[in-house]
Amino acid sequence: MIITGNALMMGDNVNTDVLHPSQFFSLDDSKVRTGFMQAAAGYEKVGSSDLSGRIILAGDNFGCGSSRETGARVFLLAGVRAVVARSLARIFSRNVRNLGLLAAECPTLPSQIHDGFGVKIDMNKLVLEIPAYGQNFPLTRLDPFWEAVFKAGGLMPFLGFKDE
Amino acid sequence: MRAQTLTEKILLKKVNAPILPDSEYFRIPVDLVLGHDATIALLIERFKKIGKHIWDPNRCFFAADHFVPPSTPERADILNRYLSFVKQESVPEDLLYRGISHQLLVEDRRCQPGMVICGADSHTVMAGALGCFAAGMGSTDIMAILLTGEVILSIPKSIRVTMTGKMPSWLFGKDIALEIIRRIGEGGSVDHALEYHDRTETSISIDSRFTISNMSVEAGATNGVFVPDETLKRYIEQRDAAAKVSESVNLDSFESTWLQPDEDAEYARQLDINVEEIAPLVALPGNLSRIVPIDEVEPRPVQQVFIGSCAGGRTEDLAIAARLLRNRRVAAGMRLVITPASQTVYYECLRNGIFQVLAEAGALITNSSCGACGGIDKGLIGAGEACVSTSNRNFRGRMGSPDGLIYLASPAAAAATAIVGRLTDPRPFLDESGIENFHSDPWPKTLGAGGAL
Repeated sequence: MIITGNALMMGDNVNTDVLHPSQFFSLDDSKVRTGFMQAAAGYEKVGSSDLSGRIILAGDNFGCGSSRETGARVFLLAGVRAVVARSLARIFSRNVRNLGLLAAECPTLPSQIHDGFGVKIDMNKLVLEIPAYGQNFPLTRLDPFWEAVFKAGGLMPFLGFKDE
Repeated sequence: MRAQTLTEKILLKKVNAPILPDSEYFRIPVDLVLGHDATIALLIERFKKIGKHIWDPNRCFFAADHFVPPSTPERADILNRYLSFVKQESVPEDLLYRGISHQLLVEDRRCQPGMVICGADSHTVMAGALGCFAAGMGSTDIMAILLTGEVILSIPKSIRVTMTGKMPSWLFGKDIALEIIRRIGEGGSVDHALEYHDRTETSISIDSRFTISNMSVEAGATNGVFVPDETLKRYIEQRDAAAKVSESVNLDSFESTWLQPDEDAEYARQLDINVEEIAPLVALPGNLSRIVPIDEVEPRPVQQVFIGSCAGGRTEDLAIAARLLRNRRVAAGMRLVITPASQTVYYECLRNGIFQVLAEAGALITNSSCGACGGIDKGLIGAGEACVSTSNRNFRGRMGSPDGLIYLASPAAAAATAIVGRLTDPRPFLDESGIENFHSDPWPKTLGAGGAL
């Protein structure tokens, strides 16, 4: 599996409350969408912009905090293609993977990647390619369970349930 | 067989082969599923499309605690959808409007040592204080459990935390939790279990243990489990003597297994904490990466103090606040918001006079709900305001404006701050109030039912 897109870099310990403040908790997708990154200092504008084709890159412990799944669903609503972090918080990584999005770990990912740089995630070769850097970064292999969930399109289809 | 940690003992007892060849994930039968109005509401429409029913409604522990009572029409609608779902699926309704789900869980006979508990909320980890495997998850994971009765998990390695020394009167579970996070880092236990061994002289109170287990997730842990001991046994015996569940729930299958880790179990890391060496701590606003002794922080003015939540709204927390605020008043202009962790805590504080003391001191007392801690209602902060909170998260915007500042501290530090109007070290106040053995008797009967209103 190969996914390409443009980088949007975030920092360490970015929690789900700043990624999606609780005031935007709703059953209405359009309201959920407006909350993306609205408490992440410096990211309010980009959070509101069209993020289709973006790959979110981040530092350690990305997505720590609340289990509210609106904080994962908003990545899909915004058109984000994948998430790659040096390390992922447990509940968040399960949430995005359960919804069918790729979330991968890249332990040597640099802290600063220029906004908009082209990025290629190659899960076959297990490398993150950033051509503008002229450098590849190794990705951690997904457990076969998560690989199967990703191929199925999320946890519900993996388990054989049709929820939409 | 290889020596096992407590988390391994609880989980491996229930599993056979991994879910797929070479996978580290197993299907594990779940004893209890915790849910509430907000995160269960997120799955209802999808659940209905699948067209199946909950595998065992009796195993659902569903509260209404987020939008209670609702503060907007939209939230009333979310709550109503949830309540209809609970009824349609024949889930027991005895927990609705009774307080914060995590506190209800540990107060309830259905929650027993050795169980596997999954909850649609990150602070489900709190039940680890009762010797359970308890982990928080998102709505899709919970939906899968509601459909199948199983969770798909890897077995986490454990970090062993051993606590020794004698608890000073001014030290609380919150200080210990902050000390653990300070030492291992905000993501220091991601994909790990924290295994707590209480070897302190008089043992850490059950209320403080709840706070420590609750905040395990703030260090990234999958679960945070206390090794069952005499303190737990006494608590469970007392709790279960007073039946608290509705007659419609059959308790026969809610069995406890009092497991212990093997002595030679392998740990990813060991952490020794002498509680006598911890100063009252405060987490500076933004995240949990800056935790410092409160007497080293600039005593900045504070506009709101919040004593409440599943992390800091139990009887012990409200008792120390009342003892410090007795015969005193909050600082001019101070907004002191008190939110008990459950309605049972609320009644207890009504009966024993704690609420009268707090009300006389100028506190605003709310019903039990997630309220201010979750940025939902009844105590949100505006731009430029500072709040000292006994809750578990100081994240930007968590309690309202992204330009408000949240400091996390113990209930003693919070109460001292409410009196002074600035970030304040609680130790001199305990001395001045002559409080010596707080933890052996948090609210002596001699304090009566407070003064005359």
